[in-house]
Amino acid sequence: MKVLIVEDERSMALEMEAFLKKSYYNCDLSFTARQAKQMMEEHSYNFILLDLGLPDQDGLEVLKAAKKNCPDASYIILTARGDLEDRIKGLDLGADDYLPKPFSLLELQSRMMAISRRKSGLNDSVVPLGDFMIDSVKRMILFEGREIELSRREFDLLSYMLMHKNRPLTRVQLSDHVWGNFSDGDYDSNYIDVHIKNIRKKLIPYGSVDWLQTIRGIGYKIKIG
Amino acid sequence: MKLLSKLTLYITISKILVVLLFIWLLPRLVNDVASQHTNYYLTEQKKKVLANIEKNGIDYYFDGDSSYGSYTMLKEEYISLEPAGPLSPADTIQTSLRIVEDDTLTYRLLEHVFEYGHKRYLLEIGKTITAINQYNRPLQRVALYVLIGLIAFTLIIDLVFTRLLLRPLGLIIRTKLINRKFPFEEDIPPVSTTTTDFKYLDDSLIGLMNNVKEAFDKEREFTSNASHELMTPISILQNKIENLMLDHEMDESAQEKIMGMMNTLNRLKKIVRSLLMISRIENDQYSRADKVSPQVLIEEVIKELEDRIEARGIKLTLSVSRHIVLQNVNRDLLFQLFYNLINNAIRYNKEGGAIGISDHLNQDKSYIINITDTGIGMKENDLESIFDRFKKTSRMEGEGYGLGLSIVKSIVQYHSIRIAVKSEYGKGSEFSITFLPGVANAF
Repeated sequence: MKVLIVEDERSMALEMEAFLKKSYYNCDLSFTARQAKQMMEEHSYNFILLDLGLPDQDGLEVLKAAKKNCPDASYIILTARGDLEDRIKGLDLGADDYLPKPFSLLELQSRMMAISRRKSGLNDSVVPLGDFMIDSVKRMILFEGREIELSRREFDLLSYMLMHKNRPLTRVQLSDHVWGNFSDGDYDSNYIDVHIKNIRKKLIPYGSVDWLQTIRGIGYKIKIG
Repeated sequence: MKLLSKLTLYITISKILVVLLFIWLLPRLVNDVASQHTNYYLTEQKKKVLANIEKNGIDYYFDGDSSYGSYTMLKEEYISLEPAGPLSPADTIQTSLRIVEDDTLTYRLLEHVFEYGHKRYLLEIGKTITAINQYNRPLQRVALYVLIGLIAFTLIIDLVFTRLLLRPLGLIIRTKLINRKFPFEEDIPPVSTTTTDFKYLDDSLIGLMNNVKEAFDKEREFTSNASHELMTPISILQNKIENLMLDHEMDESAQEKIMGMMNTLNRLKKIVRSLLMISRIENDQYSRADKVSPQVLIEEVIKELEDRIEARGIKLTLSVSRHIVLQNVNRDLLFQLFYNLINNAIRYNKEGGAIGISDHLNQDKSYIINITDTGIGMKENDLESIFDRFKKTSRMEGEGYGLGLSIVKSIVQYHSIRIAVKSEYGKGSEFSITFLPGVANAF
């Protein structure tokens, strides 16, 4: 997967690159609109992560031009502007998603994965998790073909952790994902514990949930081979 | 009382007083003038008689008799000339009775004693009081009518002019003071008037409001810019910390510290995001064009929060009419409003407590939604400041600053909504949200 990161804040771009590299994305960086356009002419990308606040040109203009050069790429707009209008304009211009800054890198990656899945149209959305199977399209968890009922939040949590399996996820990261803008810090992250407890309680009658690990003082992790 | 009413009242009362005074004074005045005039008239008559005697001799009157008397047809005036006795009084003008041809009449009487040819004579000239006063009444009446007419005329002129004069003041009050919403967004043109006092008042008000608006705009701009500028470094920090977390070589204690940093950063992020949201609301960046069913909206909020309600064993009762629609509102903001209030009702509730949400459409078409909880409540002196930014109240012990209710406040101000809180410490709170008439419609 080739990714072009268009972001004028260098250290931000570097962090994104470092993170995505670990998930085997191949990243190019550009810090200006001009540079970005040049890169897009020379290479083709699967993903273009586009900051709107570029020094030399408005990101939305870049998006317009980019849609011509790289029509097949998926675009995610990253911005601290957070104007509602920007969001609508961006999506109108053909962006696939919109992520307001500050965002979690995990969130960025899961959005990218969701877009890939959507675009590839693959139906192998069913992923094994221990003795269970998770169907992220139908939003179900199955044990030997039978559905186990989880609440919406519980499913959100589980699939998010599965998406970022083998990584420790903090309560804050989890509650950020589950409640998004409504997340209310420490207080909300307590509810993550409640949800995890419920998930365990609901799954244990069917099979082992040893893969759902608690990392003391930090959060949780799904550990599978 | 309004200035115009006061002036109108003053002008009317003062004019009525003038009329009353005049009515009281007029008969006295007229009588006085009539009597003065009669005295003068009698004196003139006397002079004429004396002049005649001087010229023609006293026999001109006596004509052989020893006395002379004459009166007009109705005995209104009479004159008599006779030799004066030793007791005759000196010159007087007085009112007294005289019998003239069997009629006893009241006369204004001039008596004059004079010498002529070594003899003393008494001259009496009289005029009846009835004759003197015969014009008094009509005169008084006419005078009164004229006065009342004039007073009424000036009264109308005064009132019209006062109204005209005070119109700029009314205009200033109406356009500049009444119904003006802080922070005075709309530009209202100065009131045109030639009265310098009003001009000064108007100019001062405009200046004052501009200053307020400017200060407010600056603060707003600062909040917006500052929050926005803070977002980028927060973003970078967050991503750096996230990358650090993934470093497998880190030991547990280092990871825990990083986790602490992440929590703190998250708090910062939350504050900045809330401030940004408030400044966006204050900067009118949200439309007010949505139609929202409060029942559907609140149910959505509850669905969003049902995990928590369940986790805390709270019993929630929702009785909101399906047949109400809210117009000219922003759906996202109202969602946030109810989210924050209901979230608080859960958060500050007791384990196994209750939350009630009910509504009521008033006679005047205002619409109330009440959210009550059986939570920990608030102390009275906390109630005033719960909507203020960065005000710590006792219920948030050690939890940092809550901006949730500040957001609620700005959403409320953005719409035509009033919010009121009642609370009893240890027992629970009630938040009442009132949509002003025109927002909610029943169907």
